[in-house]
Amino acid sequence: MKPLTRWGENGMKRMFTWGVIVLFLILFPILAATEHTLNLLVFLFITIVLAQSWNILGGYAGQISLGNAAFFGIGALAFHFIAWRSGIPLFLALPASGLAAIALASFIGIPALRLRGAYFAIGTLALAEALRITIGNLFPRTVYIPTAYITSYRLVDRYYLALAVTLITQIVATVIVKSRTGLGIRAIRDDEEAADTTGVSLFKYKYLALVTSSFFSGIAGGVFAYYQISILPAFLFSPQWTFEPLVAASVGGSGTLLGPILGSVFLIILMELFALTLGKGYLIIFGGLFVLVVLFLPGGLMEASKRIGKAFSTNKPIP
Amino acid sequence: MIQIIVYGVITGAFYGLAAVGLSLVFGVMKHLNIAHGSFLMIGGFVSFWLFHFFKIDPFVSIPLAMVVLFVLGGLLYKGLFSHLDKLPEGLKINNSMLVGFGLTWILDNLAILFWTSDVRAVTPSYTGKVWNPLPGLRIPIVGLGVIGIALLVIFSLYLVLTKTYFGKSVRGTAQDRDAASLVGINVERTYLVFFALGAALAGIAGVVSAVNYSVHPTVGFEWLLKAIIILVLAGFGKVGPVFIAGLVLGIVEGVSVYFVGTTYREVVGLVIFILVMLKRSM
Amino acid sequence: MLEVNEIDVFRGDIHVLWSVSLKVEERTITALLGSNAAGKTSLLMSISGLIKPRRGSIRFNGVEITKEPAHRIVEIGMGMVPEGRRLFPEMSVLENLELGAFLKKARNTKDRAIAEIYGIFPILKSKATQMAGTLSGGEQQMVAIGRALMSKPKLLLIDELSLGLAPLVLQHIAEIIKEINVTRGLTIFIVEQNALMTLEMAQFGYLIENGRIVGSGETNSLLQNEQIKNAYFGI
Repeated sequence: MKPLTRWGENGMKRMFTWGVIVLFLILFPILAATEHTLNLLVFLFITIVLAQSWNILGGYAGQISLGNAAFFGIGALAFHFIAWRSGIPLFLALPASGLAAIALASFIGIPALRLRGAYFAIGTLALAEALRITIGNLFPRTVYIPTAYITSYRLVDRYYLALAVTLITQIVATVIVKSRTGLGIRAIRDDEEAADTTGVSLFKYKYLALVTSSFFSGIAGGVFAYYQISILPAFLFSPQWTFEPLVAASVGGSGTLLGPILGSVFLIILMELFALTLGKGYLIIFGGLFVLVVLFLPGGLMEASKRIGKAFSTNKPIP
Repeated sequence: MIQIIVYGVITGAFYGLAAVGLSLVFGVMKHLNIAHGSFLMIGGFVSFWLFHFFKIDPFVSIPLAMVVLFVLGGLLYKGLFSHLDKLPEGLKINNSMLVGFGLTWILDNLAILFWTSDVRAVTPSYTGKVWNPLPGLRIPIVGLGVIGIALLVIFSLYLVLTKTYFGKSVRGTAQDRDAASLVGINVERTYLVFFALGAALAGIAGVVSAVNYSVHPTVGFEWLLKAIIILVLAGFGKVGPVFIAGLVLGIVEGVSVYFVGTTYREVVGLVIFILVMLKRSM
Repeated sequence: MLEVNEIDVFRGDIHVLWSVSLKVEERTITALLGSNAAGKTSLLMSISGLIKPRRGSIRFNGVEITKEPAHRIVEIGMGMVPEGRRLFPEMSVLENLELGAFLKKARNTKDRAIAEIYGIFPILKSKATQMAGTLSGGEQQMVAIGRALMSKPKLLLIDELSLGLAPLVLQHIAEIIKEINVTRGLTIFIVEQNALMTLEMAQFGYLIENGRIVGSGETNSLLQNEQIKNAYFGI
C-alpha cells in the first residue's frame, strides 16, 4: 500500500496541531482530570473508534451497515473471556478481540456483502439483533471483572488504553484511506456499477472495508470490556453501539477522516450538557441534526466548516 | 396445536397491520420510512391517553389515532421526506431510511421525555375475556378484535385502491410517475397524501398494539423489525401478500415456540428473514 | 396556439436544446422531424412540463407555461402521447383510459368519452379488461392516444408514433389521427423520425438536428426540397 498524497507545508502545520492535542490528552490525567471527565473521555474515545469504523464501511465504501454492534459485542465478549478467564496476558487479549470480530465479519460478511444498499443495511441489522437475542439467552447474567483484577483497577490505565487505541485507529484509517486500497474502496461508494466495469474487484475491496471496520469495532469492544466492571452480555450488542457512532460519524461528516472525531466530540458535549436537564433528550437534538445532514448537508460538519471557510477567504481562482 | 395456530393467526394479523403501511409507502414512493415504528408507537399512545382520560374504547379511538397520525405524517413528509423525491432510486431508499431513523430518535425520545419510559397498556373491560367456540379452544376477545380490524383494513384498502380515483391515481403513479403527471395527476400531492395514509395505517396498528400487547416509547423499533421482515418476505406495494406473509410468520413463530421455546421466538423470524434475503440476492 | 421562444434545455449538465423556437397554429397538424437523439423528446418534455427549460419561454394560448408543473399544463388543455407509450402496465385498458380522465372536469363525461374512444379504436373495447402491459405495440399506441384524448385536450403532443409499430398498423393510426384533427379540430404536434408519413399528414413542419432547429416550412415545400429528400428519405 503506497501512500499517494504528499505532505505539503500544510502537512507540517497539521502535524503540529495534532501533536499539541495528543500531548494535551496524554498529560490530561495528570493535569486536570476528575474521575467523571476521565470516564467521559473513555466513552468519547470508544465512540470515536466506533464512529471511524462505521465510517470506513459506510462513509468510504458506501455500504451502510446497521450491525456494528455485533462486532463490538463479539470483541467485548472475546476480550472478557480471554483476558479475565483464560491465562492469556492482557496485551494479547486486545488484538484477539479484534480478530474475533474479523472472524465474525468474515463468516457473515461474505454472504451479506452480496446484498446491495438498503438490503445490506437491514440484513446487518437483523444479524445484529439475532445475535443480541441469542447471546442474551446464552448468557443471561451479568458478568464481572474477576475480583482479583477489581482491586487493582485503575481508571487511568483504561484511559490511556482507550487513547492509544483511538490514535492507532485514526492513524491506520488515515493510511488506508490515502493508499491505493483506499482509492479502490472509495470507488465502490461513488458508483458501484462503474467500479465493477473498470476492473476494480468489488468484492475484494468491500471485504477489506468490512474487515477493517469490524476490527476497529472489535477492539473498541475490547477496550470497553477492559473498562467496564460489570456487563450484561446482551447490552454489548444493543443497537445503540451501532446507531450513536453512525449518527456521530454522519453529522461530523461521513467519508472524511476527521468527521467521526468531530461528530463524536459534538455528541459527547451535547450529552454532557443535557445530562441534568433533558437526560436522554440530547438524542432529540442530535437526531434532528442527523436528519438535517442527510437531507441538506451530506458532508456534515466537515462540509459546513469548509463552506464557511470559503466564505471568509479571499476570492482566489482555483488553479 | 390448533390453539397455537389460532394465536399465530392473531399475531399474524397484527404483523400484517404493522407492515401494510410501510409496504405500501415503499411500493409507491420508494421511501423506506423507518419512522413507521414511531408512528405506530404514537398511535398506541393516542389510544392510551384517550382511554386513560376519557375512557374511550380503544377500537373506537382508532379513527382519532388515524387523524392524528395522518396530520403528523403529512407534515413530516412535507417538511422532510419530500426533499428526497428527486433522487435516483437507490439513493432515495438509502436516504429515506436514514431520515426515517433519525426521525425515530427524535420521536421516541420526545415520547420518553413527555410520557416516560413506562410500559402502558389499554385494558378495556373485555381484556382477558375469552371465547370458547370449541372445547379446549380459547380465543381471546381482543384477538378477535385484531383479526376484525385487519379484515376491515384489507377490505377498505382494496376498495380505495381499486374503486376510487385516488386509489387508481396512486397505483398509476407507482407504475409510471411521468405518465401519471401527463394525465394530470399531481404527483407530489399524491405522494403527500399517501404517505400520510401510511402513517395513519401505522396508527391503527399502534392502537391494536396498545390493546393486544402494550405500548412504550421504544416499542416502535421492535415492531418495525417485524414489519421489515414482512416487507422483504411479501414484496411491496400489494396489500394481500403483506397479510399473508404476516400470517405465515405469525404461525411459524407460534409453532416454533413449541419446539425451541419462547426465548428464541424472535430469532426464528430474523433467521427466516436473513435466509430469504440471501436466497433472493443469489 | 403554442409558442416556443428560444428555449435552452439541459438534461443534467448536458445542453440538449439550443435556442429552439417554433410555433404551432390552431387546428393544424405540425410536425417536428429529426433523427435519434436530435432533441425531439427533450423538446416535448419541456413543452409538457416534465422538464423545465433553463432559458426562454413557452406560451400556450398566450399563457406562459414555462415553469408550470406537468399536471397543471394538462389542466389547461394539453395532452401528450409519450415516447414508448408509457401506459400503466399493471392496470387494464379500461383503467388506463379512466385515469386519462383524472382531471375533475373530465370525470363527469368519462363514460361518454370512453365510448368515443371505443368508437375510434374498436379493438380496445374487446380488450377492456386486459392488462395494458400485455398488449401489442399497435394496441398500446391506441390506448396511449385514447388516454391522452380522455382529458379533452385542445393540443395533443405525440412523441414517436412510429416506434415499434408495423407499417400497416402505423398507417391505420395515422389515418385516425388525421381524422381526429379534422372532425374535432384538435391541434396536433407530432415529433417523429419517420419523415415520409409525418410530412404527409402534417401541414407545417420543423426540422431539428443536434438540438437546433435547422429548417421549417409548409410540408409541401419541404417534401419537394432536394436537400431534405436526401437527408431524410435517402432518395
